[in-house]
Amino acid sequence: MTRNRPRIGLYTLAIIASVISFLPIIWLILTSIKTTAGIYAWPPQYLPAPVTFQNYIDIFTKSPELLLYVLNSLIVGLGTTIVSLSLGGMAGYALSRLGMRRAGVLMVFILAVSMFPPVSLLPSLFQTFLNLGLLNTYTGLIIAHTGLFLPFSVWMLASYFATLPKEIEEAARMDGMGFFRIFWSIVIPLSWPGFVATGLIVFIHSWNEFPLALVLMTQNAMRTAPVGISLYPGEYAFPWETISTATVIAIVPILVITAIFQKQIVGGLTAGTGK
Amino acid sequence: MTEVKLERIGKSYGAVEAVQEFDLTIEDGEFLVLLGPSGCGKSTTLRMIAGLESITTGDLTISGTRMNDVDPKDRGVAMVFQNYALYPHKTVFDNMAMALKLQKVPVEEIRDRVGRTAEMLGLTEYLERKPAALSGGQRQRVAIGRAIVRTPKVFLFDEPLSNLDAKLRVKMRMELQELHDSLGVTSIYVTHDQIEAMTLADRIVIMNGGVVAQVGSPREVYDSPADEFVAGFIGSPSMNFIDLRRGAGGGWSSTEGGLRFESLPFSLGDRSEIRLGIRPEHVVITPHAETGANGGSFEAEVRLAELLGADALLNLDIEGCRLTARVGGTGHSRAGDRVQATLPTPLLHAFDIPTGKALPRLVS
Amino acid sequence: MTTSVTSPLDRRRHLTGMAFVTPTLLVITAILVYPILQSIVLSFGTSSLDGSEPYQFVGLKHYAALAQTERFWNALGVTLTFTALSIPLELIMGIGLAVLLNESFRGKGIARLAVLFPWALPTALNTLMWRWMYNTDYGLFNAVALQSGVVDRPINWLGDETLAMLSMVVVAVWKTSSFMALIILAGLQSIPRELYEAGRMDGMTRWQEFREITLPLLKGPILVALIIRSMDALRTFELPFNLTDGGPVTATESLSLYAYKVMFDFIEFNFGAAIVVVQFLVIFAMSLIYILTLRNKD
Repeated sequence: MTRNRPRIGLYTLAIIASVISFLPIIWLILTSIKTTAGIYAWPPQYLPAPVTFQNYIDIFTKSPELLLYVLNSLIVGLGTTIVSLSLGGMAGYALSRLGMRRAGVLMVFILAVSMFPPVSLLPSLFQTFLNLGLLNTYTGLIIAHTGLFLPFSVWMLASYFATLPKEIEEAARMDGMGFFRIFWSIVIPLSWPGFVATGLIVFIHSWNEFPLALVLMTQNAMRTAPVGISLYPGEYAFPWETISTATVIAIVPILVITAIFQKQIVGGLTAGTGK
Repeated sequence: MTEVKLERIGKSYGAVEAVQEFDLTIEDGEFLVLLGPSGCGKSTTLRMIAGLESITTGDLTISGTRMNDVDPKDRGVAMVFQNYALYPHKTVFDNMAMALKLQKVPVEEIRDRVGRTAEMLGLTEYLERKPAALSGGQRQRVAIGRAIVRTPKVFLFDEPLSNLDAKLRVKMRMELQELHDSLGVTSIYVTHDQIEAMTLADRIVIMNGGVVAQVGSPREVYDSPADEFVAGFIGSPSMNFIDLRRGAGGGWSSTEGGLRFESLPFSLGDRSEIRLGIRPEHVVITPHAETGANGGSFEAEVRLAELLGADALLNLDIEGCRLTARVGGTGHSRAGDRVQATLPTPLLHAFDIPTGKALPRLVS
Repeated sequence: MTTSVTSPLDRRRHLTGMAFVTPTLLVITAILVYPILQSIVLSFGTSSLDGSEPYQFVGLKHYAALAQTERFWNALGVTLTFTALSIPLELIMGIGLAVLLNESFRGKGIARLAVLFPWALPTALNTLMWRWMYNTDYGLFNAVALQSGVVDRPINWLGDETLAMLSMVVVAVWKTSSFMALIILAGLQSIPRELYEAGRMDGMTRWQEFREITLPLLKGPILVALIIRSMDALRTFELPFNLTDGGPVTATESLSLYAYKVMFDFIEFNFGAAIVVVQFLVIFAMSLIYILTLRNKD
């Protein structure tokens, strides 16, 4: 066996995998910078000729609701992240560090309920939210998303806290801090990598969540990006020039976050599964 | 007067009893060392005194006040942790000042007290650094400084030197000793290292399986171990143990090999079996003298000779009975040599076999 | 006899713990536990959406009706077929990608990002991208197929019953192989290098290394990934929603999508609740298998 052959094979495979991964995104971006005629041309235009940003201009001028969807997603995503990290951090700390009785049972309970399929929550959640006036509110969807992603946050943060040396918190006890203060001024500053990883994944999950966002936000102006764009098409034809452009706008925040924080995200996703 | 009193203190986790019936009074200014293998309950005892573990049974009093339910910060104790437990995100100054800040001590006074402590420990130039920028020894000093600044009535040390390398450990051990001499504060120190225990302690408490095995000065626990566990735990290499059986004629001989004693200076009662102990450093090796076995002197073959540097360990075979002797490192015997091994009667120990308790020496 | 919990020191700790956990338990109860229970209650009765008509217990009526409904059995079949087709493919792709990413080569960062992107993007929008590529008249696939002369008529990727299912599986595999790969990669990286060095000393080939060392030690992570993914696949919703809307006819209508339509298109909440309860039971059975398998392993 020569030393070079496997290397070449490796690169070939890596390139093929990367191309397949990126292909739909690239094709989408190419579509978004074609003219309408170019999109529906035969023979097909693989590369846009001419390149145009008219679709982007159109979105900002003619279809501002698409931008509203992105804004809604941002508000819901950030709200969910903040609430999940706050509640999940406190619960994770209590369960990993405050020596609670039945902490193990509670952790398993939290894990078990997180396996509930979201659609099975819908009949009840829809009615409850309807009666409480929480449909079409940011608060409502933030609460719902927090419920979906809290179990993950609790588990992630609890396992992060478990890696901190216990003695630091004990030293703080000896120094005279109460539990709240220890959590606030010792544990949180020391755990920010855990909070960052958890927060990123919760944000991405919330941004991507579909069934609850679809059902709990019935007004067009309140829809999140994935739902709004999916429901955007008119009665008969799919306006692909608008859809592709809106999709690009909606995924750019996620692409940027993923690219910047890929280490933290990968670390968070795989924590505890490798054993 | 700071007197720490533990009255029949116990700790259990469910059915597991980590510490049982710990009964001891630690006097003002005393340096007490809790020594034992891991899991013996020494750390748990220390943490109960600190207030980091609740006390299941018994009473803890410090200077006459019952402390069982008092918050750690109000017990007047300070603790130095094994892995230093410094706040990584705070400077050395803030680490040392934290307790005072929380006690709402005026800023001027904090600065003064931290400054003086830092000077005493040679930390003045590091006050603005974060712990990560310090060496292991410096971190250890900050951890000690953090305890000193509070001017506690009692210092608690939880294996404070075990994260340091061997050289630094010796140095810090001496510093701790000097510190104790100059401050004179009651100190309770947990370690599994018998050298630390022997050098630092006024009294050593040796624990085993959650129970106190012996309390005594370093001299006492070395010279007169209360039971087989203590005898084996203190001293390195460990004491030799040889099982003896009473012969028909009243003499004692080893169950394995050729040790024979006409009489032993212990109150043996009507026991037919005992366990004899002798420390390797107490076995006297002389050149082979063709005198045969008499008066605790036996002919032995050297099976293995290990040079440690200043000393050497000889693994001896006395007709099948193995024991270790510690001899000088120069000119010692080699493997295969035949030597005369003497076990001086005054340096022997005897233990009851079922209980492990030391048998009292007959007063002659 | 005093127990440890009665000590004020412990009691304060426990009270703090309770205070810290309570908000989380409240949210989880409100959003996850209570709705499941209410769905079960709804599935055994009739009621109106706004509560104007009182709840009436009807026993197993909805479940009996469900058993008679061919569209339900179809949806169950679609869901199971989809799961059974996509999971093995995802596993194979995932292992392949993980082994690839475990090698060190230049440009690995980009390759890892390429693997992460499909996972990170919303399934709904991913699906739209693929739907666009699948488009019969203007899609990328047909453009390439026609121009290269492989076919002379456009392929109706999403209009044929079998092709639509396969197209859906492709999108799922594309999106979630990366997740599998990441979990398996973490497992790979926890295998000590020394084992491979020992293997090399024993004269193992690369394939033998993979068979004898890698695979057996990856059992745990693979199992975890399989279970998480199976549960995802069993509740797939936005994929058929956006790709085919369950079509052609109902060839790709998953249980989730069917339940959604029953509830929000036909406004039959009680009947829909019965569907989601069945789906919940299927997934519950799945997680039971999960837990039992894991327990047997230890």
